[in-house]
Amino acid sequence: MQMHRIKVKINGKLYERDVPGHRSLLHFIRDDIGLTGTKEGCGAGECGACTVLLNGKTVNSCLALAAECDGAEIETVEGEAKNGKLSKLQDAFHRNHAVQCGFCTPGMLMSVKSLLKVHPKPTEEQIKEAIEGNFCRCTGYRQIIEAVQDATGQLKKKEELKRVS
Amino acid sequence: MHHEFEYIAPRTRTELLSTLKKLGARAKLLAGGTDLLVDIRVGHNVPEAVIDVKYVDEYRKIRWDAKEGLSIGATVTCVELMNDKTVRAKFPLLAEAAGHIGSPQLRNRATIAGNLCTASPCADMGCSLLAYGASIELASEKKTRIIPLEQFFTGVKKTQRQPDEVVQRIIVPAAMAGARGAMEKLKRIKGHDLAVVSVAMVKTAKALRVGVGSCAPTPIALKELPASASVKTVVDEALKTVKPIDDIRASKEYRLAMVQSFVEKLMATLK
Repeated sequence: MQMHRIKVKINGKLYERDVPGHRSLLHFIRDDIGLTGTKEGCGAGECGACTVLLNGKTVNSCLALAAECDGAEIETVEGEAKNGKLSKLQDAFHRNHAVQCGFCTPGMLMSVKSLLKVHPKPTEEQIKEAIEGNFCRCTGYRQIIEAVQDATGQLKKKEELKRVS
Repeated sequence: MHHEFEYIAPRTRTELLSTLKKLGARAKLLAGGTDLLVDIRVGHNVPEAVIDVKYVDEYRKIRWDAKEGLSIGATVTCVELMNDKTVRAKFPLLAEAAGHIGSPQLRNRATIAGNLCTASPCADMGCSLLAYGASIELASEKKTRIIPLEQFFTGVKKTQRQPDEVVQRIIVPAAMAGARGAMEKLKRIKGHDLAVVSVAMVKTAKALRVGVGSCAPTPIALKELPASASVKTVVDEALKTVKPIDDIRASKEYRLAMVQSFVEKLMATLK
């Protein structure tokens, strides 16, 4: 099997590796580089768990080959937190309980990050459209939408829950 | 990927065509990869090699020529088409149709030519490009040929493309620039889904053209009708032309009812 020498920047750090032609970008990021924040859900471009930014655009990393990405800049969830401090977006997800099992979260964060570059104050409809390729099966989309609204200073204050006993 | 294959990325068109001639059916062409890599993963396709067409410069362009019309290069993605100023001004329905494909992640990678080459009966670009009367340019080392899109599709996931050929571009006739167009796509959910039925309609001063998806083994075009055709004429022509089946997404009867409903709705929109 012929190997391909590729150079990629992931979260600002340069990596140079040899990959076989059939290696997906997802498996390259997870297995070769060891950044396991990006998840594999369906492996068929349906669920969005593997979403990363490739040259600034969201892609399903399960449907790209590592060999195709020579010279590319890639951003993953590991690029979010700096010095042990969550990014503004991660913090908003945390505060709004937009993370339950957390499997869809890395992909969600990447899709939202891409949205906010174009629409710094997105409407609810724009948020929904931006995450239409990211499936969540436990947290619920409501909290995720609210987290994005919170991160962009648009969340209306909610009534505090009252203790019942 | 579970299946192993070589990755070949020709730097020029000449290199691409000679690689294709050498490997033919043993290789698959890779553009956006959003259909091909899924097919390989599930074992529908087990090529020895994939040939990446994205390095060929001339395939990346969207060009407008007042005589020939709009030319969409082989590796133009859905998002590039959606954001192109000429497309938005002269062929807005194409930008709209590209927005119906998949999710944002898929639209960033998936190409217009790839959507046609996959030749799914529900191809979103299929019915809109058929409505515009588009044609497609194929090239091998031996020759370059242009055929109407209607002849390109030959069956479910089958096309006229020969193993040594590459689709170079899609051509939309200049006469269709500025034509009014609209489309309807029925999905099971509001988000990312395949079409249960889709209908695209384009109207010029003289003619009315309609493309239908998910209602036959390929996306199909109705016979061109005069712009003055009545709603009943168009509905009758549509119901005569489509050949829907029962499948996992809908019944034949439902599809027929939706074709009629969409044709009526689009006729009202383009009145």
